[in-house]
Amino acid sequence: MLRSERGPSTRGVGVTSIRAASARIARRLEAPTDVEHRHPASVEELAETLSQASSEGRTVLVWGGGTHQGYGYRVSPDLVVFTDGLATIVEWEPDDLTVVVEGGMTVAGLESRLATRGQTAVLAELPATGTVGGALAAGISAYRRGRFGPTRDRILEVTLVTGDGRVVRAGGRVVKNVTGYDLARLAVGSFGRLGVIVSACLKLWPLPQVSATVTLDGDLGNQVYRPLAVLEEARKSSVYLAGTEEEVAAQIARLPGESQPGLVWPELPSGPWTWSLRVPPATAVGFVSALPDDFVHQVGVGEISFTTEDTQGMEDLRTKVEAAGGSLVVTGRPPGGEFEPWGRPPAGIEIQSRLAAAFDPARILNPGRLPGRI
Amino acid sequence: MIDELRAALDSDRVMESKLELHLYGRDAGVYRGNPSVVAIPETTEEVVEIVKIAGRHEAPVVARGAGTGLAAGAVPTEGGVVLVTTRMNQIHEIDPVKRTAWVGPGVINLDLSHAAAPYGLYFAPDPSSQAACTVGGNIANNSGGPHCLAEGSTVNHVLALEVVLPDGTLEVIGSEAPDPIGLDLRGVMVGSEGTLGIVTRALVKLTPIAPDIRTLLCSFSSISDAAETVSGVIARGVVPAALEMMDQRIVEAVENWLHAGLPTHAAAILLAEVVGETAAVEAEADLIAEVARANKALEISVAAGEDERALLWKCRKSAFGAVAQAAPNYYLHDTVVPRTRLVETMNKVYEIGRRHDLLMMNVFHAGDGNLHPLMMFDASEPGMIEKVQAAADELVEVCVKAGGALSGEHGIGREKRDLMPLMFNTADLDAQARIKETFDPFGRFNPGKILPAGSRCFDQSGALPPGAWV
Repeated sequence: MLRSERGPSTRGVGVTSIRAASARIARRLEAPTDVEHRHPASVEELAETLSQASSEGRTVLVWGGGTHQGYGYRVSPDLVVFTDGLATIVEWEPDDLTVVVEGGMTVAGLESRLATRGQTAVLAELPATGTVGGALAAGISAYRRGRFGPTRDRILEVTLVTGDGRVVRAGGRVVKNVTGYDLARLAVGSFGRLGVIVSACLKLWPLPQVSATVTLDGDLGNQVYRPLAVLEEARKSSVYLAGTEEEVAAQIARLPGESQPGLVWPELPSGPWTWSLRVPPATAVGFVSALPDDFVHQVGVGEISFTTEDTQGMEDLRTKVEAAGGSLVVTGRPPGGEFEPWGRPPAGIEIQSRLAAAFDPARILNPGRLPGRI
Repeated sequence: MIDELRAALDSDRVMESKLELHLYGRDAGVYRGNPSVVAIPETTEEVVEIVKIAGRHEAPVVARGAGTGLAAGAVPTEGGVVLVTTRMNQIHEIDPVKRTAWVGPGVINLDLSHAAAPYGLYFAPDPSSQAACTVGGNIANNSGGPHCLAEGSTVNHVLALEVVLPDGTLEVIGSEAPDPIGLDLRGVMVGSEGTLGIVTRALVKLTPIAPDIRTLLCSFSSISDAAETVSGVIARGVVPAALEMMDQRIVEAVENWLHAGLPTHAAAILLAEVVGETAAVEAEADLIAEVARANKALEISVAAGEDERALLWKCRKSAFGAVAQAAPNYYLHDTVVPRTRLVETMNKVYEIGRRHDLLMMNVFHAGDGNLHPLMMFDASEPGMIEKVQAAADELVEVCVKAGGALSGEHGIGREKRDLMPLMFNTADLDAQARIKETFDPFGRFNPGKILPAGSRCFDQSGALPPGAWV
């Protein structure tokens, strides 16, 4: 199923994390400078800011690291509210594998702290300059979701400041909990429409003792039980392994291809237009052949990230993707570039709209950003 | 209303005799309700019809699967129609390549795993009641089970849901594709206990059976040593597939029934299971044994084969049946604490039992801090129910004070509804009530559950511009 027949890799094995990091930084967007900026230093200050904006009917754009601002319909704000004043670890229980972290903390900052005790929140490897709140609000998952599931499966508690300045908390700081409606999960992928994520409790996983990346030169088949990730690029496919030394060694021995120590993640496809194609995992392979060379296909997950400036072609592709039960989402666009960002709105759009209204009655928080211009 | 229901369904699937109403007025817990009618649909269209008919008559609709719930989630405490999903028990499709299945809500949990087994797959949520409980009930309660420690609760295994909403509309929410766009209605529907929608079909994930498995039985001379082992294993960076604790009284009851050779002399036993590649399970099993030894384990054994493993799990999962020897009634609790607070919480649990002079047994999902204290009693003794209730409330308070939660997998239902303010303030409860109100503005679906009366009360007067939609 994996394509490795395209010949030897030209991008090779030398992709270092430093190069990948610089590519990520280049993707950051800058907040609009011609409107008022606020940097609330406390939850109370943020609540006061939003309450006031609600009563004045001023539109607020919420800004974390600026790495996912390319998603969704554009918002024309009267005010940009930054979360960088809420950027600390509130509580970390290493022995319980849970952490409570403020939304403005960077993913890289959190992960490097957690790594000091051999743990990870399994947040997206790329782009690490983003914030935890941004990753949650955008519903971004790590490549490692192949083993650990998507981000929304690991959020245990959320504290939101709603559009009208209410501070609401849901969930709990335990790893298993069915107390009340799962507002924490609902906040994941909500792009700020329910509130600003001021803090979240996340389930952690131990970092593996050993990890390795195997560049395949044959069929993966059923050789590995639950790899961290299988990523297909234009000229190579890689399997990411993690576990005990014996386990990883045994897996490497069974796999056709060259291995290197550590997890060598590919660069994110970069260009003026970037896209996320999401389809039922088993159908993804059928879409890969239609894509330009700069893509990363998360095999078994059903997401393909890619870049192309052929927006015309994306209309046709979107029709096919939606017919397969998926979506083609714009994740980055050039200034002034216009393209329907989400495609066909999902089911239950009226309820989604009423939910947003229940949390942001004055419709001031990132209004209209979601599918259906909710 | 009953005539209309009879016209919509075969008349033998609309029941209103005293006995039937009595039987369907309860679940496996202690609460009772008085439904006005019981309706047993077989199709999605019939569910829509029932919801519309009940809506016209302003009657509540309470969805019910197998009735194995313990928190009165399916008890019609405010009367109305009990909508029973057990005849919607078709496995519509298993796709071994996609590793998914479309199922009716009435499919029994274990039946699904059996049907998936020929493809090397299974449905991961495994509540102890899995031989009886339905997938629809699992979805309503976001059920767990011993193996959700590593695999996650039901919500992690649901891709899409066909649901009938309180106004009778039908939607398919969620997607087989990853990260569906828009707000995650599927996520909030799971665990909503039939208060937001009624699931008529579900697309669930099936999980590959692991290549290798080790099941360890460790016994200890004190509860504390066993609990320390649990904390120690997690702290060492191993998250087993399951990590279950049984105390001496439970072990005695189970052994007396199943004669499995469990160590009845030990104060507690731990059942630990690790799955994955052979090299990984060997290393993890060694580590668990090492931590257990460091915590003065009396004995450590590894199940010799599938039969022995199956027997150990039978012991664990049938514990609630075995306790019938001890007393005619039991009250099974479900609370969660951070795993680091297990030892002190267990001590307090036993202390509460002693103080109230109640026989307390414990069998629980230790690995995720999910306690299941069982209080044994005879309901015919005067004042006993009140005594049990008082002890139960104390238990919950102890767990919440330790940083825990009201329920890990059984749900809030009617049982813990009025305890919600222990965990949440007015603004939090108001936010929850807004979710309910969004889906069900007239409070038709399973009223009186999850949220205490008056939850929707937060006043934000003056903060809104004119014309804002509150």
